Amino acid sequence: MNSKSRLSDPGIILVAVLLFVSAVVLIWWPTDIYLMGISLAGWLMFGTYFIWFLLSIIYVMWVEKKEEGKEN
Amino acid sequence: MQIMETVILGVYLVLMTIIGIYFTRRAHSSESDYWTAGKSINTYVGAFALFAALASSSSLMGAVGSGVALGIPFLFAYGFGAVAILPFTLFLVSGQIRRSGVNTLPEFFKQRYGNAVQIVAVFIVVIGMTFYMVPQLTASGLIGSYVLGIDYTTAVIVLGIGFTVYAALGGMWAITYTDLIQGAVMLIGMLVLSLIILVQHDGFSSLIQDALATTPTFGDITQPWMSYFGLFLAFLWFGIVSPSAVMRNFASKDAKTARRSAMWACLLYLLIFVFGLIVAAGGASLGIADTLDNQDMIFVLVIESYMSPLLAGIMLAGLLAAIMSSADAMLLAISAGVARDIYKEYMNKEASEKTVTKIGFAVMIIASIIGIIIAINPPQLIAIMVGWVGGFLLSAFGFPLVLGIWWNRANKAGALAGMIGGAIMFLIIVITEPFALVSEPVIAAPVSLVLTVVVSLLTDPPSAETQKQVGRYHGEIDAEELDTTAS
Repeated sequence: MNSKSRLSDPGIILVAVLLFVSAVVLIWWPTDIYLMGISLAGWLMFGTYFIWFLLSIIYVMWVEKKEEGKEN
Repeated sequence: MQIMETVILGVYLVLMTIIGIYFTRRAHSSESDYWTAGKSINTYVGAFALFAALASSSSLMGAVGSGVALGIPFLFAYGFGAVAILPFTLFLVSGQIRRSGVNTLPEFFKQRYGNAVQIVAVFIVVIGMTFYMVPQLTASGLIGSYVLGIDYTTAVIVLGIGFTVYAALGGMWAITYTDLIQGAVMLIGMLVLSLIILVQHDGFSSLIQDALATTPTFGDITQPWMSYFGLFLAFLWFGIVSPSAVMRNFASKDAKTARRSAMWACLLYLLIFVFGLIVAAGGASLGIADTLDNQDMIFVLVIESYMSPLLAGIMLAGLLAAIMSSADAMLLAISAGVARDIYKEYMNKEASEKTVTKIGFAVMIIASIIGIIIAINPPQLIAIMVGWVGGFLLSAFGFPLVLGIWWNRANKAGALAGMIGGAIMFLIIVITEPFALVSEPVIAAPVSLVLTVVVSLLTDPPSAETQKQVGRYHGEIDAEELDTTAS
C-alpha cells in the first residue's frame, strides 16, 4: 500500500544520501594519508558533521514546502 | 577540595533545584504534563532540550577522554554518528511517531504489534536505561570527587541520590526548562574553553603540533576498522532507539516546531564536537593521559589547567547539571516504562495518577541503586559504555521500529524475533568478545533485521486495521477515518 510514494518521501531519499556518504567514508578509509598529522580517515568523519547539518536543513525546508503545497 | 568550584557547584545545583521545585506544581497537575511537558515547548527551548538530552556527560567527558586515550579519529567517529542522530531520526521516524500519537517507544510497539511486543520492549528499555545510568554516574562521580575532595564511591552515591530526587520532584517540566540553561552553559563553556586553549597554543595548527609532540599517536587510527564502524552505527541510531530522546520529541507543540528544534539541535551538537576536537587536542598536549587511573578524567583536568577557578567552577557545574538532566531523562524513561506501560496497562487499569507516579518513583530508586552499584567499579571508558547502550538498543529496537513504520507486512512474530534475537546476539558478543571493541551492532543489528523480515514473511500478515494504521503514520489516511479502530 502506497509503497512507491513512501520511497519518494524526503526522509527516505535523505537517508539514502546519508548512507551513501557514510559508505564512501567507511569504504575508502584512508588511514595512511595524513593531513596536519591526523589521519585522513579521521578528517573525513569530521567533514561529515557539516554534511549532516546541511541534510537536516534540506529536510526541514523540503517538508515545509511540501506541506505548503498540500495546503494550497 | 577546590573551594571556588565547590561554591559555584553548590549555588548552581540549588538554583536548578529551585527551578525544578517551581515546576513541580505544574508537573503534578496532570499525568500528561508530567511525562511530556504538556506539548507546549517552543522551537528554541525544544532545540536546547533535545541538545542537552543528547549531549550528555558522554558527549563531553567521554568523547574528549576517548579522543585522548584512543586517538582523535575515535572522537571523530563518535561525532560521525552522533551529529547524524537528529537528521537520521527526523528522516526515518519522528514525523510518523508523532502522527501515531504515542508517548513512549513501548507504547508505539503496542499500537503497531500488540501487547507481547510492548512487554518485551519495556523489559529492554529498563535494562538499557538502567545500564545507561552507569556512565552518567561515573562521570558525575569523577567530577564530584575532584571538586569536593571526597572519594569517588561517596561522590557516586551522593550524586546518584540527588539525581533521583530531582527527577521524581519535577518530571519532564523541570528537566525541559533546566535543560535550556544547562544547554547554554555547556555550549558557551565549551566555546570559552576552546578559545582559551587556542590562544594559549597560538592557534589551531600549533595546538595540533603541540598535541602530536606530546602524544605521537594523537592523529592515528589506533583501533580496528570494526570499532569505528560499530561506534558510528551505535550513535547514528541513538535518537531512534533511545526512549528518552523520543520523549523529548513530543515536548514540542506541533510537527513544524519539532522538526525545526531537531535541526537547530543538530547545529548545537555539531558545535560541541568541533569544540571537542580543540579540547581533546588541549588534553593531549598536557601529556598526562597515561598517568591517570581513569582517562575520562582528562576533560576535568583540561578545564582545571586552562581556566581560572571561577570559570572552571561554572564549567564543571554546567557539566554536572547536563549529566543530571540526561540521567533524569533516563530515570523518567525507566519509570514510565514500568509504571505506565506495565503496571497501569496490565496490572491495575484503574490505578490513580498518584499511584502511578508513586510506583514510578519507587522504580527510579531501584534503577538508581543498581546504576550506583555498577558505577562504583565502571567496566570501561564512558564513551565505550554509552556505545554499548546505543548498540544494544539498536540491535533490539532499530529494525522492528523502522520496519513497523515503513513496511505494512512487518508483524508481531517478526518484531518479537527481531527484538529478542538482536538483543541476545548483542549480549553474546559483548560477553564473549570475539570482535573489536564496540563492534557488536555491526553483527547483531543485521541479525535483528533478517529475523524481523524472514519471520514476518513466514507468518500471517498483520490485520487490515494495523495496515491502515501504518498508512496513518505517513498521513496517507485521515486520523478520523481510523478513530474507531485506532482507539
